[in-house]
Amino acid sequence: MYHTERQAAISKTRGFEGPASAGVLEVGRVEAKKQETFLKIPSYLYLNAQRRHSAMTNRTRRFIPVIAFLAAASLFAPLGTPAQTSANQSSTSAQAERWLHVRVISTNAKGETVRVNVPLELAEKVLPAIDHDRLHNGKVRIGCMDCDGVDVRTLFEAVRTSKDGEFVTVQSKDADISVAKKEGQFLVHVHDKNKPKYSQVEVKVPMKVVQALLSAGKDELDIVAGLHALASQGDQELVSVKDDDSTIRVWLDSKNVTD
Amino acid sequence: MVLLGKLALGFGATVVLAGAYTFREGLLRVDVDESRGNGSHVHVWLPAAAVPMAMHFVPRHQLERAGQHAGQMMPLVHAVAKELQRYPEAELVEVRDGENYVRIRTHNGTFLVDVDEPGETVHVACPLATIDDVSRELAAFAPGA
Repeated sequence: MYHTERQAAISKTRGFEGPASAGVLEVGRVEAKKQETFLKIPSYLYLNAQRRHSAMTNRTRRFIPVIAFLAAASLFAPLGTPAQTSANQSSTSAQAERWLHVRVISTNAKGETVRVNVPLELAEKVLPAIDHDRLHNGKVRIGCMDCDGVDVRTLFEAVRTSKDGEFVTVQSKDADISVAKKEGQFLVHVHDKNKPKYSQVEVKVPMKVVQALLSAGKDELDIVAGLHALASQGDQELVSVKDDDSTIRVWLDSKNVTD
Repeated sequence: MVLLGKLALGFGATVVLAGAYTFREGLLRVDVDESRGNGSHVHVWLPAAAVPMAMHFVPRHQLERAGQHAGQMMPLVHAVAKELQRYPEAELVEVRDGENYVRIRTHNGTFLVDVDEPGETVHVACPLATIDDVSRELAAFAPGA
C-alpha cells in the first residue's frame, strides 16, 4: 500500500493509517484552516466583540485576579525587594556588627553635644583607602615608638606576659594615677584633685587590641588590626572622662542607635 | 470606545512602569535656604537613577576637570558609600552646639546630611547607590587612574 517504508512511518506518526495520498490531503486541509484563522481580524478588535464572540471563556476569567496579582507583584518587585533586603541586612547587621560610639556632652550654657557612631567593619574597610599625611594603608606613622630611650614595644611585651597587678601608682596632692592590668585589660585611672569639681579619667583597653596596634612595622601603629581586634571584644566601655564641664564616653556595643 | 480604553490602559501602565523604573533608586534632594537678606534658596529634586545616566552626556573634558579636582578623594568616597550600603539605617554623627545642629545619617539606603544654623539650613539626601556609581565614574578620571 505504501510506496516506501519511510512514507508508512510518516503516516503512522501523524496518526493516519490510510493511504499516503489521503494523508497529504488531510495536511493540506489543516494548513488551509490555519491560514484562514490567521487571516481573520482578531475577534477582540471588533467593537461588538462581546456580543459577537466572547474572547474569554469562564475558565480564563477565573485567572484574571491571579494575572492581575502577578502583574502588580512584578511591577512593585523592584521597589519592594531592596527594601526587604535592606531590612534583612539591618536585622543581620544588628546581630553581628560591632559599633564604636563616642559621646561628648558638655554641661556649659550652650549644651554642646557630639554623638558619633561608627561601625567597626566600615572603619576597617575605609581606613586603608585613606592615604594622607601620616595615615596610609590603615597604619599611622608615629615618631615616638622609642621615646627617650624607652622601647614601647618591649615595655608592652613585658606587661602583656606578666601577671595581673597594679604597675604604677601615683598619689599626690594634685592627682591619683594608677596603671594596671586586670583580666586581659590594660587599665589607666586618673583622678584630678585640682579641679573644683569631681574629675576622673578611666581608660580600659584590651591587651589584644594593644598587641594588634603594635603589630605593624617600626614606628607605626596598625589601626586596622586594632579595630579588627576590638571587634572581637564584648560590649564594654573603653574611655570615660567625667569633668566638671563635660562628659566623654567611648564604648563598644552592637547597637546602631543613639541612647 | 473599548479600544480607546485599552490604549489608555496601555499608556497608563507604561507611564507607571517608566515612573517606577526612574525612581527605583530614590530621589536626590538638595535644599539650601538662607533666611538672611537676599539669601539664596536652592531646591533640587532629581530621580537618582538619572544621575549616572546623565553623566554619560557630560563632555569628557568636564569630567576630566572634575576628576583632577576631586578624583583623588573618590576612592575613599566610593569605599565609604559601598560600605554604608550595608547600613541602611544608621545614625552616624550628631553635633549640637547651641543653635547649630549637624546630623549625618543613613535612612532607607539614602545618605542624609542636615545642617541647621541661624540664618541657614541645608538638607542633602542622596541614595548611597548613586554616590557609589558617581564616585566610581569620577575616580576613573583621576590623574594617574
